[in-house]
Amino acid sequence: MAFTPLMQDLLAALRCLPGVGPKSSQRMAFHLLERNREGAQRIITSLAAALERIGLCSRCRMFTETQLCTICGDSRRDAGVVCVVETPADVVAIEESGVYRGRYFVLMGRLSPLDGIGPEQLGVPVLESQMADGVTREIILATSATVEGEATSGYLASLAREHRVRATRIAHGVPMGGELEYVDAGTLSHAITARTPMLAD
Amino acid sequence: MSGSTSSADHEDSYVLHAWPYQETSQILEALGAQHGRVGLVARGARRPTSRWRSVLQPFLPLRLSWVGRGALYTLRSAEPASFAPALTGLALMGGFYLNELILNFVRRGDPHPGLFIAYSQALADLRAGGDTEPALRRFEFQLLAEVGYGLNLDHDVLNDVPLDPAAVYEYRLEQGPVPAAAGGGGLTFTGSELLAIGRGEFSSPVILRLSKRLFRAVLAHYLDGRTLKTREVMASMRR
Repeated sequence: MAFTPLMQDLLAALRCLPGVGPKSSQRMAFHLLERNREGAQRIITSLAAALERIGLCSRCRMFTETQLCTICGDSRRDAGVVCVVETPADVVAIEESGVYRGRYFVLMGRLSPLDGIGPEQLGVPVLESQMADGVTREIILATSATVEGEATSGYLASLAREHRVRATRIAHGVPMGGELEYVDAGTLSHAITARTPMLAD
Repeated sequence: MSGSTSSADHEDSYVLHAWPYQETSQILEALGAQHGRVGLVARGARRPTSRWRSVLQPFLPLRLSWVGRGALYTLRSAEPASFAPALTGLALMGGFYLNELILNFVRRGDPHPGLFIAYSQALADLRAGGDTEPALRRFEFQLLAEVGYGLNLDHDVLNDVPLDPAAVYEYRLEQGPVPAAAGGGGLTFTGSELLAIGRGEFSSPVILRLSKRLFRAVLAHYLDGRTLKTREVMASMRR
């Protein structure tokens, strides 16, 4: 059916969200206008505030409205270990694992020479100055297991070597509960070549 | 040609580049042994559970099947053709450079079986380790010949006589070597240097350096103002 211009604008605006097509944008718009105008007002207020005030942490490039994000500002975290990830969602995923107590550095992407994405776009100069600060002992390269992710890790590892900082790469292998039969050949070959000793003396 | 129908059944192929498409799909640029460069849509390839995620990576020898018509075909199946160790470091950057060259010089839909062989060989050379430059030069040379910009490296085009190894020539773009004017600048080489480049003697450091100068000028000419992003990124990585 033909919607009024304002309604059409609203539907088009909602469709910028991932996973939202014509049907769900219509459901969201009707819901907000029909039943939850208060909720709509809250979205407006918090979205406006977030857009205006949320930037990147000056140290790790995670989203924050303060100079340092909560992790970088937490003195109990080990400042000598920096885990390099591609996206803020990766930080959340590693935090949920609960095993990591160091800091992060968020590249907001990965090296992709064919798309012209190089070190500058990924904030590498900021990371490099941290490698040179004398506090950083180790960088953990937790970029994705893709060709671009490997290119990114390889490059950062060579920078770390120049600064005499230890560089490690997260292990790739068989997922928990995974049966070998169903693991793809690329992952299995990684798992075999990067095997670790058991019952080390 | 856009608008044509195409289908391939387990064709030996490489993925050259991939872009995200819609929520869960990917658009791939691939190089097939018979079909040359093709654009493919891999539906659902970015779903967390997609088995294609680990397969559709650049530089891996793959067997791809696709069907469709128009500019983009639909990927039907993708499986590894053989095991190949991952490229790393400079060799990996060299691989990106090869892919960007193909994307710039080869049109979709033109079959280039020779180029596929040259590309496979270049990847094998990059995997073998050592200096990456000879593999890159050899591929540039073969690529130019394959797409119809082959270099004339054996005769003087002005006088239509074979090159004199002892003489000095200026290489004129789109034409070939002409006797160099005295004190002339530009792309000048001796006859023996041009002959050695033509024979692909890239294991000689001198010929390797000269061929880089020549091929770079020729590539830049046909790129017509477009820049190679991999080269810029590599330069900023070396900085």
